[in-house]
Formats: sequence, C-alpha cells, structure tokens
Amino acid sequence: MNPVPPIADRFHNLAFIVAVILLCVTANGQVNSTGPSTGGSSGVERGIALASKGRCREALPILKKASGEITTKDLKYDVLMSTARCAIGLEQTDTAVRTLLELNRSFAKDPEVLYLTTHYYSELALKASHELAAAAPSSAQAQQLEAEAFESQGEWDKAITQYKKILEQNPQRHGIHYRMGRLFLTKTPADSDDAKKEFEEELKIDPNSAASEFLLGEIARQAGQWEESIRRFGRAIKLDEGFVEAYLALGISMNADGKFADAVEPLEDYVKMQPDDPAGHYQLATAYARTGRKQDAQREMALQQETAAKAPRTSPQQ
Amino acid sequence: MMRRRYAQGHRFSRRRFLRLLGAAGVGSGIWTPSLFSAAGAVVSTAAFEEISASRSGIAWRHVSGRSPMAHLPETVGAGCAFVDYDNDGWMDIYLVNSGPCDFYEPSPPLRNALYHNNRDGTFTDVTQKAGVLGNAYGMGVAAGDYDGDGFPDLYVTQYPHSILYHNNGDGTFTDVTAKAGVAAPGWATSAVWFDYDNDGRLDLFVCRFVDYSKAKLKFCGDLITGERHYCIPSIYDAMPCRLFHNNGDGTFTDVSKESGIMQSRAKAWGVVAADLNNDGRMDLYVTNDTVPNSLFSNRGKGRFEEIGMLAGVGVSSFGKARSGMGVDAADYDQDGWIDLFEANVDQEMYSLYHNDKNEVFTDVSNPNGIGVATRLMSGWGLKFLDYDNDGDLDLLLCNGHPDDTVEKRIEGVKFREPMLLFRNTGKGFQNVSQESGAAFSKPLAARGLAIGDFDNDGAVDLLISQNNDAPILLRNLAGRENHWLGVRLVGTKSNIDAIGAKITYQAGDLLRHKFKVGGGSYLSSHDPRMVLGLGKRTKIDWLEVEWPQPSGKKERVSDLPIDRYVTIVEGEGKWK
Repeated sequence: MNPVPPIADRFHNLAFIVAVILLCVTANGQVNSTGPSTGGSSGVERGIALASKGRCREALPILKKASGEITTKDLKYDVLMSTARCAIGLEQTDTAVRTLLELNRSFAKDPEVLYLTTHYYSELALKASHELAAAAPSSAQAQQLEAEAFESQGEWDKAITQYKKILEQNPQRHGIHYRMGRLFLTKTPADSDDAKKEFEEELKIDPNSAASEFLLGEIARQAGQWEESIRRFGRAIKLDEGFVEAYLALGISMNADGKFADAVEPLEDYVKMQPDDPAGHYQLATAYARTGRKQDAQREMALQQETAAKAPRTSPQQ
Repeated sequence: MMRRRYAQGHRFSRRRFLRLLGAAGVGSGIWTPSLFSAAGAVVSTAAFEEISASRSGIAWRHVSGRSPMAHLPETVGAGCAFVDYDNDGWMDIYLVNSGPCDFYEPSPPLRNALYHNNRDGTFTDVTQKAGVLGNAYGMGVAAGDYDGDGFPDLYVTQYPHSILYHNNGDGTFTDVTAKAGVAAPGWATSAVWFDYDNDGRLDLFVCRFVDYSKAKLKFCGDLITGERHYCIPSIYDAMPCRLFHNNGDGTFTDVSKESGIMQSRAKAWGVVAADLNNDGRMDLYVTNDTVPNSLFSNRGKGRFEEIGMLAGVGVSSFGKARSGMGVDAADYDQDGWIDLFEANVDQEMYSLYHNDKNEVFTDVSNPNGIGVATRLMSGWGLKFLDYDNDGDLDLLLCNGHPDDTVEKRIEGVKFREPMLLFRNTGKGFQNVSQESGAAFSKPLAARGLAIGDFDNDGAVDLLISQNNDAPILLRNLAGRENHWLGVRLVGTKSNIDAIGAKITYQAGDLLRHKFKVGGGSYLSSHDPRMVLGLGKRTKIDWLEVEWPQPSGKKERVSDLPIDRYVTIVEGEGKWK
C-alpha cells in the first residue's frame, strides 16, 4: 500500500524541485547576498551581514526592526530580500509572505523578486495540498485538486475519471460538470458534443453558471447556430453583467446573424470595458457600417487599426 | 490588458477565451462521417483517382532546397498549371521548381517542367524544346494570351525576379521579360491576367511577398540549440503588389502607383480577379499574410480603392489579420453576386465570404461547417468547382502546414495534411472528404492547385503541386456520372481569354450561371474552359454568354450538344 496519498504524489516532483531550490537559497539559513549596500545604518548592515552568513535567527529581528526606517532604495531592497530569505528559511510564513508582498509592491517586475515569490508561493501551495491530503484524503476537494493536477499535466482521461469519481460521491457538486466540459474542449481534437452535455448538466445543477452558458454559446457560434449562440451569450451576461467576453461574443454572433442594429449595444459596452482590444472595434465598426453610420464605422475602424498595431501578431496562435 | 473575470467561480482570461474559442467545435458532429452518411446525398464511390507517375509519365519533382537556415521561400512553393500550350484541345501541364538565387545554388541544377498531353492519359516532358526552364527561385505561374495571338503565354513568378514567356505557337517560348518590362523585382508569388481598364487586352497583376533577401534573413527558432524554423512573416516588411498595363505592343507599363495598388503594403500570397460589385469592372481580392487582406475595388479610369476592412474581408472576426494564403471567387449560391473564399494557417480557420451586395461580405464558414473542419489546417491551393457536374459549385481545398517542424511545437497540427472536399447541396456546403476516396486521406505538403479536364471527359481533374515532393494528378470519377457541356470562350472585342465573362444556361428545370474569374487558388493557373454541369438532364435548352467589357454584349445560343466541348467566339452568335 502506498502510504503517500495520491494528491501528494501528483506534486512530488515539483515539491522536490522547489525544495532543492529553496535549500540553495536558504541552506543553513544562509542568504546569498552581494553584500550590504553603503549608506545604511550600521545596525542594518550588521543584519544583512548576519543573514549572508546564515545567522538568520540573529539577523531577522534586526532586519525587521530596521526595515521601516530605511529610505535608500538599494538598501531597502537588500533588507527586504534578506528578511524574506531568512523568514523562508526559518519557516516564518507570516513574515515571509508579508515581506514578499512588500517586495512586489516596491520592486515590481524585479526578476529576482518574482523568482523568489514564485518558488515560495509554490511551496506554500504544496504544503497546503499535503495538508489537504493528510487531513481529508477522500474529500471532494482533495479529489478535485488531484483532477486539476492531472488536467494541468495534460492527462485528460485521468482527470475526467477523477472528476467522475467526485460526481459519484456528490452528483450535485457545483463546477465539476463545467470543468469536465472545458476539458473536452481543451483536448485535441476537441469534443464539442461531450462538452455540450457537460455544460448542460452543470446548468441543471447550477442554473447561474454564466461560464457554462458562455461556452454553450461558443459551441453554437462555432457551428453557426446564431440564434442559439445569441440566446446563450445574452443569458451569460444576465447572470454576470461583468462577464466581458460575453459582450464581444454576443456582438459577433449578432453581426454574423445580420442583426447589426442589435449588435451595437453589446459591442459599445464591450469597447468601453476593453478599449485596447481590436476585436471590439472591428465588430463595432462592422455594426455601424451596416446600419448606415459611416463616420462612426470609420472611427472604430481607425481604432481597430491602432489597437491591432499595438499588439502585433507574433505567432499564428495569437 | 484584459482584466480577469470570475464567472460563477470560473476564471476567464483573454488567452483562455481565445483558446476555448479555438477548441470549441473541432471534432463536433459537423464533420463526423456518421452525419454525412445520414445525409445520404453524397457520392458513394471515390470521387477522384490518383494517377501515379508511372502511369502519367510525370517523373518531375519539386525540390525546395530545404536548408538549415530556413529561408522562407523554401517552404511556400511552388505552383502548377493546366495549359493547352499547343492549342490541340488537350490540357498540358506546367510545373514550377526552385532555382538559383542569393540563398540557394542547386546542384544539380533544377528546372521547371512542361509536359505535353499525349491524349492517352500520359504526358511527355517537352521542357527543353519549349524553353521554359525558369531562371531563379520559382514560385508560381499564370497563363494568359496577352498578345491575343491565340496561344497562351506564361508568366512565371520567381524570387528575386519573374519571367514572361511568350508562346511562339510552334511549341517553343521566348523569354520576353526585358522587352515587356514585367520582371517585377522582389519576391513575386501569385499572378493573374485580367483586363482592368476594359480595353480588351489582358493586363497583369503580380502579388509580392515580403522584403526578403539572404542578407535580410532573421533568426526564428531555438536560441539554445540554434535550430531554426521558418519565421512567421510578421517580422519582415510588407511590399506593394504590382499592376502592369498591357500597351498592346508587347510591352507593359507599371501602373502600380497611379492605380492606387501601391498604396497598400501587402504580404500577398493569392489573388483572384472578379467583378465583385457587378459594375462591369474587374476587382481584385488579394490574400495577405499577417497584414489585412486587400479588396481592390475597381473605380474605373485606372483607379482602385482598397476597401477590404469595411467590406468585411480584411481580417478575422476578432479584428486581427490572419495568414491569408489560398483564395478564390465564385457565385456559389447563384444569387448573381460573386462570393469569396480565403484559406489561412492553423488555428485561424478558413473563411467563406458571402457577398451581401453593396461591397459588403459576411463570413459564413461556420454555418457551412468550414470553420470547424479547417481549424487545424493550413490552406493553399483551393478552387470552387462543380466536381460532380450537378450544376452546383463545390469547393476543393489543399492543405499543408508551412513549417516542417510544426509537429514538435503544436499538438494536433501536421506538416502534411489531407485535402478537403465540400459538396454544395444547394442549401450549403457539406464536408464529403471522408467518403470521397483515398485521395482525401493522403497527407500532402500541398501548395498549388490547378483544375482542368486533362482527359476531356467533362469531369474536371486536379493537379496538386507539393513542396519538396512530386505533384499529384487526380482524375475525376464523380463528374462522369452526370451530363455536361464544356465551353471555350474566345473574346474578340473583349479580352481573348474572356476573363470576366458570365455564362447563363438552362437545362429543363436547371437554370444556372457561372462567372469566369481570373486566377484563384495559389501560385497556379487553370484550364480556361468552363464545364457546365447538367446533372441527369440530357438536353441543354439554351446558353447565354455575357461578354466582358468593352463589349458587354449578350449572345444566346441554342441547339447545343451535351457531353462534349464547344467553342463560342464573341460576335459569331453560334457554337462550333
């Protein structure tokens, strides 16, 4: 018998990699640093120096105390990074998370900050999954997490089997049919028929599933069933009026069905919400042009060209 | 950047949305064999039969010169043609090959091929005698009788310059490029002969692709291993196409600038010439790669206006330029207005554009099952043709991904892909590929497609050129099941090839019309004769030809035979 719960097993390799990386970063609590920046107080420099020598237990209180007083940007960076690494090494989760959040605020897009954040958050996710596996290995949540892990690895059939197990235990659980439907669409080649069945099942359980309505609308749109797609997208918007993509999809379907006047409203809403998307401008230009609003059409077409130029295509898949 | 949404707890993002849009529908019931079987209206036997090289005698093969440097021209050629170069009434075959240029020195040398039709299903290579070998990196071919001497001439597009071969009428050709002034420096792709100014002479439109040379090669591939793959053309600069006015003395004038053609920067692969707004002037639809397609509406007095975007044929429904490659035009639904078709690369789907009149089009590929079926395909040569001679125009699509390393990178996408055949049911198109014979399950690196009746049985056959492989000759078996009339039009006041003509015919309850468009497909040229399908009807009541401008004359002929070819000369009011 395998003592390791399956969910933990799914994450085993990733856990190992993360552990190795974190060991490299925090071996014996030692922090790799380029050395303290000049210009800071001697206390701060001492904290950073201690951290770089792996003496995190001594370093951390000093760094925590000093962090609020630093004004020099370089020094602040060194202090926060040393604090984060020490906190991670000492498993002081609260401090580690708080410091990483501060690093991401103050040094947004810094590669080292993002790297450290990625690995630490991954470790936290692993820890949580292990806890879930240990505390409630047969719970629907554990099974769903395992199914999602299969899904993320492209093991569609295993994921579907796992989702089915969840439904056997709890046929009314929200979101499972939806996830299965989405999976059927993600497969290559996609299986729209099975996806459609799953989304319809999801709606029986959860009539407020805007996402299911949306994807049923999309399946209909792909088949050129405009009436059905318009109905589905319209319902998705009613269920979730902030569902941005549904406005575009509704406008596309209405234009395709020759209902240009009807398409204007959802498309105007869409371009307000997504002014940088050439798709909205193009469809709105089409709707205007076909309803005799030539100037409006030209304006939207110019916006389409402007926005499309900002996001030039680099691969056929984009 | 699109903000993320939670919809009832399910996260959506733009990327995921697009991916799902892409995935939805593929493999749906629309193209499952069971559905077609249930429809029960399709041919039950193979529609086409492959004629092997050993049977046809066509031993020539295309050589791309595939190099580790992955020069873009290597993967996009080349084209082919059905052309009756000796006017004996039997379609001969012309095939384009690669050749010497700054990035390629083939050893042994490569050449194009002209095969003479022996009238018994076999062909003889007459290239050397004819003198049509090509002299650079060949791309495509457009046949047209530009000097009206009754013999079709050949314009061969190449990189970095093209050739005009004048047909001497004795089985030989002369390179008259310099005298004619149509070398079109740069990378030329498809070309089309048509009369844009209605002076009765065939002018020449030449598609140009990107600004390319060995020195301008860019790196696309794996930065770690250094392995290259073919670049997406967005990283190269667009170039304008060329329009050459026929002066009627064997020379041409480059009118690209004054006609307005040059104002549109193109990355053009395909072109078709047709009167899309029924104003008596030939328009041009040009498919571009990674920039919007161009619809050049002919405004008269030698001027074109580019209206692709507002006409609805410039970009995808998501407002993005696609990889427009193959193209064609025909009035598939018989409403009197010529519709358009565009093939793209995988994930983009192909588009069937219905002409809504007034210079606007609607993409109707989804309701016809074309979008779904082409989701993973990349399309080049394509043509509307009535393959089963039932009187309705069907659709034949040739496919193959341009990048031979694509299978390593994109799941489900293949370098070699099968052809697709869509049958026009009168109510829409139906994918009948799977029950149309082995030819439609054979993976091909297809590029060019020429249609023509090489055995004169009235069933229009197919010639498919492949990249770095042998061409495929397919004999049409389905068309033989129905009756037909083949018509060769000869213009006298209008252009001699009658490009732009319209034939209307009545056979009992069947009333149909067909427009004679210029070009279409990809890098290829077609049998100029028009085959009119009659179904099971055994009599054709009458046939009316509306000649293109400057004539515009309508001539009605009757007492026509069936199941044979006839010639109608403008102004004679009879067939022969």
